[in-house]
Amino acid sequence: MASGLFVLMTSDEETDLPAKRASANAALIRRMAGGDRDALAELYDNLSRPLYATARHILNDAAEAQDVVHDVFLTLWENAASFDSGRGAAFSWAVTLTRNRSIDRLRTRSNRARLLGNSIPDDFGYGSDTADIGGGERAELGDRAVAVRSALAELPAEQQRALELAFFSGLTQKEIAERLSEPIGTIKARIRRGLIKLRDTLAGRL
Amino acid sequence: MIDERQEELASLHALDLLEGSERDQFLAEMAGSPELRQRVSQLRAAATSLAHVAPEAVPPASLKARVLASAAARESGAATAEVIRFPSWAPWLIAACLAVAVVWAERQYGASRAAYAALSEQHRVAELALEQTRSQLDDAKRLITESSRQVAELSTRLKDEGDLAHFKIATLASMLGNSPAAVAVAVWDPARAQGVLAVSKLPALASEKDYQLWVIDKQYPSPVSAGVFVVDPVSGEAHIVFRADKPVGTIAKFAVSLERKGGSPSPEGPIVLVSE
Repeated sequence: MASGLFVLMTSDEETDLPAKRASANAALIRRMAGGDRDALAELYDNLSRPLYATARHILNDAAEAQDVVHDVFLTLWENAASFDSGRGAAFSWAVTLTRNRSIDRLRTRSNRARLLGNSIPDDFGYGSDTADIGGGERAELGDRAVAVRSALAELPAEQQRALELAFFSGLTQKEIAERLSEPIGTIKARIRRGLIKLRDTLAGRL
Repeated sequence: MIDERQEELASLHALDLLEGSERDQFLAEMAGSPELRQRVSQLRAAATSLAHVAPEAVPPASLKARVLASAAARESGAATAEVIRFPSWAPWLIAACLAVAVVWAERQYGASRAAYAALSEQHRVAELALEQTRSQLDDAKRLITESSRQVAELSTRLKDEGDLAHFKIATLASMLGNSPAAVAVAVWDPARAQGVLAVSKLPALASEKDYQLWVIDKQYPSPVSAGVFVVDPVSGEAHIVFRADKPVGTIAKFAVSLERKGGSPSPEGPIVLVSE
């Protein structure tokens, strides 16, 4: 499973992380491959906050987010041998696992809600707060988080919203279009323009 | 040269938004284009950076301990999946070894005949044992079938007789990935408008959470609360007598969800148990 993910990631993703941090995380995973649990503890310290924040934002449930993060770190631990730093960044691997598992749970939950004749709420908790980086919050965030939030804030609001829904909601293209009351072609174009601009902006800042 | 259509598909693929034939066609196109693969990779990196957009949330300290404890209970995949790399001359070495083994086997052939005869005898004995086991298995299957039939008959008889016929009895199965063994049985007595719920192997909850029982009656647009409960932290068991918050007629389903302390007016948290 993990090796399959790496097929989709090339060393170009390393440019998406400060080289030093990416290299340190890769070294930790290599140590984990040798059964070093101290390395797992260190990797947890490096990655757990963004992974937990991602899972919690997608699921809007602290207990389920903890379960996801727990499972992701165990997957990293059990599949450390398949990690190849030349083919992908540890951060991207971990985020992809976290997002996919959270969305799987989200979809399972909405299926259960349908069982009960209960629809999923319209508002998953995505507000303008994700683009709001006030002074106090900025001080608590790492440089990279500030850079990503700033880059996102530079996009037109409709592109921000399309990207946030695409990444965090687990909705399909069609569902995003329905949620935003726009034609699906418009949504595709917003995602394309937004993601390309985000890539270009981050490339210049990280 | 990547055109606008390809760039759009690459963006959607980086966010795992392509489905069905559209996805298959794009994967085929990508397989033949290193430039397109590189573009997808760049866009996927930008997409995963969105993890930093999620509102800050700090995992509880206990989670790290839980992760490390689980890891300690499992071996690192690396330790069990060490890559074995053979040198290029290994096939020749293996072939040579096989040739030597064949010569040695020929020389041992005579001496092995007696051993072969003994093994044949053992094989016959094993076959007899297997046949006997199969027979026992068939007997066991017949017994299970007969028992099931008797249970069905008894259930039918009970439904035909006495008050049990009016009872709604349901088994609630686990929807929890991490606690698949969790199970519950609900019995509803419409005459008294009350029921009994017996729960087993549900995980204990944090202090700010409660399990909440719901009954689904088609006359209401949303589930009706039947109260909250907690389970024994060691056994995961609970036995409660419950009543619905509204008068209910025919109960179609029972469900248990995870809610905030004290419960919610309608289900908000994940469903952990649901009846068929």
